[in-house]
Amino acid sequence: MRLLRGTALFLAAMFAQWWWNTHLSYWGAAPQILFTLTIVVAARRGPVAAMLVGYVWGLYADSLRADLFGADALLYALAGYAAGMVRRQMDLRAVGPLVATVFLFSLAYSLFLGVLGQIFLKSFVWVGTIPFLASPFLNAGVAVAGALAWDLGDS
Amino acid sequence: MQRETRIAHYVVGVLTTLSLVLLSMPLSSPVRSFKTCASYIFDPLAFEGERGYQRLAQAPSRARELLSADIENRRLGEELRRLSWLKSSVESLSIENERLRRGLGLKTPPGRHPVWAHVMERDPLHWYASVAVDAGDDRGLSLNDPVLALSGESVVAVGRVVEVRERSSTVMLLTDQRSAAAAYLSSGTLEGLVQGQDAPHLRMNYINTEARIVPDDAVYTSPTSATFPPDVMIGRVARVYPRDPFLAFQAVEVSPALDSAALQEVLILRARAPSSQAAYPSAAGAGRAPAAVAKEAAAPLVPRRRRAPAAADETDASGAAAKTAVPAGTEAPDADAPEPAPEFTPEEAPQ
Repeated sequence: MRLLRGTALFLAAMFAQWWWNTHLSYWGAAPQILFTLTIVVAARRGPVAAMLVGYVWGLYADSLRADLFGADALLYALAGYAAGMVRRQMDLRAVGPLVATVFLFSLAYSLFLGVLGQIFLKSFVWVGTIPFLASPFLNAGVAVAGALAWDLGDS
Repeated sequence: MQRETRIAHYVVGVLTTLSLVLLSMPLSSPVRSFKTCASYIFDPLAFEGERGYQRLAQAPSRARELLSADIENRRLGEELRRLSWLKSSVESLSIENERLRRGLGLKTPPGRHPVWAHVMERDPLHWYASVAVDAGDDRGLSLNDPVLALSGESVVAVGRVVEVRERSSTVMLLTDQRSAAAAYLSSGTLEGLVQGQDAPHLRMNYINTEARIVPDDAVYTSPTSATFPPDVMIGRVARVYPRDPFLAFQAVEVSPALDSAALQEVLILRARAPSSQAAYPSAAGAGRAPAAVAKEAAAPLVPRRRRAPAAADETDASGAAAKTAVPAGTEAPDADAPEPAPEFTPEEAPQ
């Protein structure tokens, strides 16, 4: 039952990511739900689970884009790993540290994506100003909602 | 904790390596194949999700369309029922209009006024004897008023009024055994007496023994008839009965022009004014100026063909009437008599 629920949530998160990007994206700004949830998983379950889940979600995100196949998988896995490491230094179960982590990691994601583009495509992949500025806030909101939902599910 | 950290290091190393391999590979055929495989795995989610989303997004509009269609369906249903009723009403009015139009074209005998009535009752035990009609004293009917009916374009004799009630009357049909009417054959203008048999057919007696009767000859009411106007079709000769050596006349079987079983409406030529003229206007006078009605009433039903022989009349078979029909050997009508009025029998006119 737990596995079934986990699988359903796993697929639901992928669907939510696609649906939001497709229908609720304004000026290119949309929350990176899978990326944020990878961090939430790392905060609750540790880095290994977060990296595995994030890697698959990353491949899914890569399949939806035309360039840099593997970049999202790498960045999601690294985000899970880094969040797992941060988890050892601070309590990411609390909302404040989680929001701060997500906020910073979101900014880092955009920058690392550009760097990967510079390395492998010879051009900096810029997500856009508005998405770059808006995504951290949107991701923070998703993180709060995800954490609350996780807590409700556990209780 | 150390173990988990170690595993995490291994995992991140492996995944990073894999990712870098994927990133370092140009988007050549292997990468595209892998991406295609990934798309095959993940795209159904997006595809089905899009379909589901579209369905959800269209649900309000579809519900609205469904409600609109339901409302439209109800409205059209009511419209259809109304039109169906209207159609039947128009058909009924059309039939009535045709009947009244033909009725307006009739010329009635002096002092007679046509009254249309519906057959409302039959006696199953006396199917060929009589019918009840929905006109009575209130519409000016009186005893022995002639009763006609339309058969196609022709007016045919049906019977006469034998009982008058306030709002209905009883019509004794020609097929009643007690009924009789003076008639003549169109081929030779031979006079005779048509009598009912309580059967679908009639019998015409008192035809001259020397006469040559043509089969399918038309039979008309005679001017000698005291009840019917002259030259109204009764029927056709169906067959000639074998001659009886003990009788001084011939007899033929007459097939009525209108089967009494098919009788639905009748035209009664009333002689007096109805007790409630306004409530039941006659067909000829409906919606017309009184002067026009009076003028038409003054016009003859048919031109006078010949002088009516004295003492020629119908009688009941019961012998209640004092006068008898034209006996055998009665003077034949004029051979050069004018044709009957076209309003009655345009195609049945005697030669």
